[in-house]
Amino acid sequence: MSGRLQVPPLGGARALIVHRPHVVVQALGRQLTAIGLKVDTAWPEAGAAALSADFVFYDADMGHDGQFPWAPGAGPVPMIALIGSEAPGRIEWALRMGADAQLLKPVGDGGAYSALLIARVAFEARQRLAAEVAGLKARIDARQTVVHAVVLLMGQGRDESTAFDHLRQLAMRWRVSFEAAAERVVAQLDPQEADHGRRRSR
Amino acid sequence: MKTRIEIGLLYSRSGSYALIGEACRTGALAAMDEINADPAQPFTLVPVERDPGGNIDLYAPMCEDILRGSGARHVIGCVTSWSRKEVIPVLERMGGTLWYAVPYEGFEASDHVAYTHACPNQHLLPLLDWAMPAYGRRAYLVGSNYIWGWEMNRLARARVAAAGGEVLGERYLPIGDTDVARMIDEIRATRPAFIHNALIGPSSYAFMAAMRRLADEDARFAPDRCPVLSCNMTECELPAMGDDAAGLIAAGPYFRGAGGWPGRDGFGSSHEAAAHAAVHQLAGLLAGAPARASAPLADLLQAPLPAGCAIDPQTHHTTLPVLIAQVKDGAFRVLSRQAAVAGDPYLAQDRGQPRPALRVVS
Repeated sequence: MSGRLQVPPLGGARALIVHRPHVVVQALGRQLTAIGLKVDTAWPEAGAAALSADFVFYDADMGHDGQFPWAPGAGPVPMIALIGSEAPGRIEWALRMGADAQLLKPVGDGGAYSALLIARVAFEARQRLAAEVAGLKARIDARQTVVHAVVLLMGQGRDESTAFDHLRQLAMRWRVSFEAAAERVVAQLDPQEADHGRRRSR
Repeated sequence: MKTRIEIGLLYSRSGSYALIGEACRTGALAAMDEINADPAQPFTLVPVERDPGGNIDLYAPMCEDILRGSGARHVIGCVTSWSRKEVIPVLERMGGTLWYAVPYEGFEASDHVAYTHACPNQHLLPLLDWAMPAYGRRAYLVGSNYIWGWEMNRLARARVAAAGGEVLGERYLPIGDTDVARMIDEIRATRPAFIHNALIGPSSYAFMAAMRRLADEDARFAPDRCPVLSCNMTECELPAMGDDAAGLIAAGPYFRGAGGWPGRDGFGSSHEAAAHAAVHQLAGLLAGAPARASAPLADLLQAPLPAGCAIDPQTHHTTLPVLIAQVKDGAFRVLSRQAAVAGDPYLAQDRGQPRPALRVVS
């Protein structure tokens, strides 16, 4: 993280506490309400409410796989682990669920606000990285298509370097990425693609 | 007239783990009687007792009730780690101390708890290090579905892997559940060299009975070839299992008749011995000054410690012998005995398995 902390608007944000009925839920709920959040609780299943929450607090002590309506670690909201037992197995599970921040139990009069801010920043970093990785992966996956497109353009009498330049010019003309242009070229020029009726006359 | 010091007792006398609660309670009460009969002690200990009946939600309120409703600042109690973790916030808030006399999975060192039974460097790790060379390194793990079972089996998995072994399966049952059929099917199919059993109460009794039936069908699953290992079974639960416990191998700081326990012998089990020791350690720390009973544990453990104090002032864990014993003819017979070792709750001193020394090959 670099630069200044952007404090997210917390007033009216929705927090879901996934914990069995317990004084921890009361203490945490009181803190969150005082900060200005709307608080819901759920146990044992987080249920669909988790999908519309802005923050999810979840019990690391009694929590188990399958509580959330998403794959482990793929939470679409900032996730804050409520840790009582510091046994490594429980910490491992809390991490696998994608903890962006943690709050130690018993929960007293403080801790929720810093957990909210840290979780928000960690979550955004996690999302940004995931998007970046997905983009890079897509480009790697497209490598074969690029090679295929260059080979097809070489088949029209260009040498490799000219074919490559031509593909770049097509991308600029169509205002699409290099990889997307390669995909179009393959779709237009590859006879196998033509079998699928995607060939257009030039 | 001696000063009266109230001492909390918080054991479940019914429910899934009542036998352990009763054993601890017996040890604690016996120690109180001994202290009360000792003319040299300027105080008598008076139990203030609450019984949560195995209901997890009653531990915190009952502990609070003891600390608020009586003069007691020390509570001897709790069997499951779950219940211990429930009462710790109450102890922190009200300045109380829990004396915890049951083996547990480690990774805790509360300022408000004295741990007088063993943690993994005193039970599980020596047990596995002893069992793997003897029986093999193919393990099957079962446990109750809470922190004791989870963490003990996680540690077992790591230790087995570090030794080059293999975990063939791992299954859990909710506390009180006795449906062990799936575990037994998998054990029959995978043929492990040993089983680590971190089940508690009726689940464990059902498992031991089913293992015995499996061994009767097929001698490859008899205890001499595929033993069940436990770090929580003591004599106090043998009556619930009868012959089904035959061949069970357990680790603990004490077994009946084995000797080597500081102070007196003749306890029914290590649970009873550790609760008994807890009361005596507490009395020793009061050092004849009843007013010290309201001091925090950390203050009581300030040097100089009385002779015989085995509780480490840093970790609040106890230096204990490590015994490995097997059930034969209804009693535990000691197979291995190691010198007393300090409790190491975060396994910070553990260097893994002892490795064979390197040889110079020319």
